Amino acid sequence: MSFEVSSALDYSATVIEHFERPRNPGHFDPAPGVIAATAGRRDQGVQFHLSAQVAGPVIRAARFEVYGCPHCIAAGSWLSQRLVGATLDELRSWNWREAADALQMPAEKRGRLLILEDAVRALAEAWARLA
Amino acid sequence: MNTAIYLDYAATTPVDPRVAERMIECLLPTGEHGNPSSAGHAFGRRARALVEKARAQVAASIGARPENIVWTSGATESDNLAILGVARFHADRGRHIVSSRTEHKAVLDALKQLEREGFEVTYLKPDSQGIVHPQQVSEALRSDTQLVSLMHVNNETGVINDIAAVGQLCRERGVLFHVDAAQSVGKLPVDVQAQCVDLLSVTAHKAYGPKGIGALYVRRQPPVGLRPILHGGGQESGLRSGTLATHQIVGMGAAFELAAAEREADCARLRVLRDRLWQGLAAVGNVELNGHPEQRVSNVLNASFHGVEGESLQFALRELAVSAGSACSSASEEASYVLRALGRSDQLAQSSLRFSLGRFTTDAEIDMAIEAVGREVRRLRQLGNAT
Repeated sequence: MSFEVSSALDYSATVIEHFERPRNPGHFDPAPGVIAATAGRRDQGVQFHLSAQVAGPVIRAARFEVYGCPHCIAAGSWLSQRLVGATLDELRSWNWREAADALQMPAEKRGRLLILEDAVRALAEAWARLA
Repeated sequence: MNTAIYLDYAATTPVDPRVAERMIECLLPTGEHGNPSSAGHAFGRRARALVEKARAQVAASIGARPENIVWTSGATESDNLAILGVARFHADRGRHIVSSRTEHKAVLDALKQLEREGFEVTYLKPDSQGIVHPQQVSEALRSDTQLVSLMHVNNETGVINDIAAVGQLCRERGVLFHVDAAQSVGKLPVDVQAQCVDLLSVTAHKAYGPKGIGALYVRRQPPVGLRPILHGGGQESGLRSGTLATHQIVGMGAAFELAAAEREADCARLRVLRDRLWQGLAAVGNVELNGHPEQRVSNVLNASFHGVEGESLQFALRELAVSAGSACSSASEEASYVLRALGRSDQLAQSSLRFSLGRFTTDAEIDMAIEAVGREVRRLRQLGNAT
């Protein structure tokens, strides 16, 4: 038996920093060289929307929008920086554990990063179609 | 970050300094620290006199006589004593109980225990505004119903049930009636005689008294029939054994006397503040009030914010001490069962906040709360714009 009420509100400093000052919020409107993908559902509590400008073999800039808990918002913000300079192959092989480690996500929240991974994979597919 | 603004008075209230002063007197070597059951010396007799004065104060605040008041550790124990005590005492008379889906867990979990013991419970569903109607109770009563347990004021929405009408029909049908009135004292008139209540649970810490002390009103004429759940020294006519906590009891008595004396003025002031808060929150758009707009105590406001995830909303507003319907923020495993019983989706129940105002809430705090909620709801909605 645990005497802690809940650990879910114990956010890491990195999560708080991204939650308070999210990097690259918003989206790119459809245009040549712009790719976008959505994963998750609002009625299930988490939805990620990613968009990016592609320049040749790499992503030049990324934007994110998130409906979700602070961990999800932080993950979207963190990823929007991580994606800059990424190649298509890197997108295809991206794994949720990288975000979990960077943000010190508690175990009960890691399932939500699988949805983020789905969004990244879908973004890779959009890129592949663009190519 | 320090939590600056306390708007969680429905969870618990600070002790009124006037009450704390009375309590401290009972703790010190120079004060009335004796055991109220030690009738053999003056320390004990003086403590007993204070306990009996507090009993009269609590009784007077709910229209009861002092001999009807049994001290407990709080509303949870009062609810358990009432429900388990009556059901087990009268088990041979019938094994059916009527209650509602939106009761406090102290009632629902006591009823679950009775179900394990072979009792059958009908849980009435409130309407979409949170009200359980007397007609529903009437229709649920059976020949083997021995008890109806219904809350006076819901702790999440502040919605008020028509206790007097339910009490009247229970009296006519010969069924015992228990009321969880933890949220009522100081907010609404409570009169156990006029409202035909047989058992009524109250607690001090929702009315500017200390935590850890409560009471159960038990009708004596004719006797209700109650089996104790605690056994020991035989205090409180054998209904609740355990050394009486003089300082806690004195605090509850003083708090309830103040609550009765200041109720109308407190409520009038809080209603104005609460309504101003609602106007400010509603201005952000796509906000829904949970619970009946009028049939509600004056200090509670429960609202759901469309397009905002509950845990993020609560964390973004951590400068405000409010309660959230979000599962992650509370010890429960699911979004508010009360709001779901009112027909709210999981998503809206998750994105709900309960603001509860109190005696020490200021105009400036309400202004700050409105500003913070508006700012953060807009920010979070913008972050999730395209999703």
